Amino acid sequence: MKKKLLIFIVLSFCALHSSMAQTKTWMTQLELGLLGGKTKDLWEEKTNERTTLSFSAFHGKEVIRNQILGVYLGMDHYPSVTLIPVGVGWRWFLGKSTGSKFYGSLDLGYGSAVLEKVERTDWSSTWHESGLVFRPAVGIKMPAKKGKWALTASLGYKRQPTYFYEGTHSQPETRPKIPLFRTRELLPEGFSSLNSTSTLYHSLSFQLGILF
Amino acid sequence: MKNRIKFLFIVLFGSSLLFSCMDEVKTTYSFRTMMPVYLEMKDVRAKEISIAPAQEIENPGKIYIYKDYLLINEPNKGIHIFDNKNPVNPINLSFIPIEGNVDLAINSDILYADNYVDLLAFDLSNIRNIRLVNRVKDVFNHLYQHSTGKIITFKDTVLTSDSPAWAFENFWTVRPGMSFLSNMSKASQSYGTGGSMARFTLMDGHLFAVDESTLRVFDVLNPAEPKFLKPIELGWGIETIFPFDQKLFIGSNRGMHIYDASTPSAPTRLAVYEHVLSCDPVVVNEDYAFVTLRSGNFCNNGVNELHVIDIKNPSQPKLIKAYPMLNPHGLGLAENYLYVAEGKHGLKSFKINDVLTIDKNQLEFLQSMKSSDLIPGPKSLIVIGTDGVCQYDYSNPAQLKKLSCIQVSNPIEVS
Repeated sequence: MKKKLLIFIVLSFCALHSSMAQTKTWMTQLELGLLGGKTKDLWEEKTNERTTLSFSAFHGKEVIRNQILGVYLGMDHYPSVTLIPVGVGWRWFLGKSTGSKFYGSLDLGYGSAVLEKVERTDWSSTWHESGLVFRPAVGIKMPAKKGKWALTASLGYKRQPTYFYEGTHSQPETRPKIPLFRTRELLPEGFSSLNSTSTLYHSLSFQLGILF
Repeated sequence: MKNRIKFLFIVLFGSSLLFSCMDEVKTTYSFRTMMPVYLEMKDVRAKEISIAPAQEIENPGKIYIYKDYLLINEPNKGIHIFDNKNPVNPINLSFIPIEGNVDLAINSDILYADNYVDLLAFDLSNIRNIRLVNRVKDVFNHLYQHSTGKIITFKDTVLTSDSPAWAFENFWTVRPGMSFLSNMSKASQSYGTGGSMARFTLMDGHLFAVDESTLRVFDVLNPAEPKFLKPIELGWGIETIFPFDQKLFIGSNRGMHIYDASTPSAPTRLAVYEHVLSCDPVVVNEDYAFVTLRSGNFCNNGVNELHVIDIKNPSQPKLIKAYPMLNPHGLGLAENYLYVAEGKHGLKSFKINDVLTIDKNQLEFLQSMKSSDLIPGPKSLIVIGTDGVCQYDYSNPAQLKKLSCIQVSNPIEVS
């Protein structure tokens, strides 16, 4: 079901992209970068640095002069989980129409842990979830000397929660339903215990991209 | 240009602050547990038990067939009474609210029901005017907590903690699936007269009741005046009791005890068949005991089998054949036919004329009937499963016909 939903979102994304391609005010930005942060090792009581990869694709339309509103799809890799955030994005370019420009951006979306496997045994199940993703950033757009494309570099903050659940089944050899989006109950039906580990990643996000 | 430099400076300064941000990790542990609830028995006894109008069944417990009536226990709450003259349309008549009730038995219009530590006797001779006629106090006294004189019961509760420890300051918590009460509740889920997992049973003017370790004997020769005779210690892990031919077959999680009850006031042990390591039900005819063993329960032994045990000499029971099954739960015996609830796999019927070829004499396998137990009654085969409490015409064991289903709001989970 989660996979079907993701396919639906991706197809909608492509449809939107092709419809926007009919106009002159569309913009596409592909970015690849790093997420950096610190995480506490609960067992050894020390702090570990983490640096992982992040990718995002943004497609939008100029709704007000210099302001682009659109949708984005990403992939964020963390030490224990890979998430697919989907959401809306906004870009605001400052300065004159030629030459380098600073810009501000905001991406707001919902993360999916669809790439993570749900592990099942006769006695237990484990699964991952994510939640609201938020990334404000500032960057610089450097137009190419030839052509209508530009390089971008941005620096921002990314807030992204993940949840990891380990549930023991009330009855062995049953397969209790796992909530589709978010496990809201303390103990979903069919489970006798549930260990929930939530990690809220606070990351510095640095991304390089191309814009056309 | 100055503005741009300022902007860049703010960004870099803000980012360096963010870089020092730490990820926030939080772990919570939620678990279902049996929370102890302490009650004063004098408060329980002070409450008047008055018959209530019919109520919807939430969670069916033990089922008992008596004359044209069907009595269905709601564990720890009371007993629903159905008029079952026409099994196609059972009519919900009334509800007897009895706190702490998990079992029942009926003898000559007198209904016996446990009320925590007491045994109650109700007169059913006028089903529209059921009356409490007797209370035998303090007989199931294993529920007393001796240090306080209060009774201790357990309530199914979900707790959440930041710590994985399951022991709390003032009490110990127990995983419901591993507690005796849970097993008792399961054991009492569906069995009536002749059921394979009954915990109350009647034979020769005596009521026999088993708890986790003790067989209690009551003289009910005068039905309205039950007299507690004595407790008999059986050892830990007692699950079920099945009476047959002046003998009691007591299922425990270590095996099957056979008691000679020809002197019902003083049953004596004939044998303990310890080759069965499971918590599984037993039905018996003159020559054989049929026992199901299944994987997946607390007494998991990793096998799914039907065992046929020769009990012609009850002092020396011996296994004569074991048949592989899918996941057998309860079972019922009616004349030469055996019915086995195979959990989520369905329900099977067998002809058992030749106990050595039962597997070759499977009559029907209804895979849609997910069931945990069944009771062959005089009018219908009562099957407890995901659809509620259903009745089937089993005049032709090779072709069961559904007659009706009593809906329950919280149907059992069939694994």
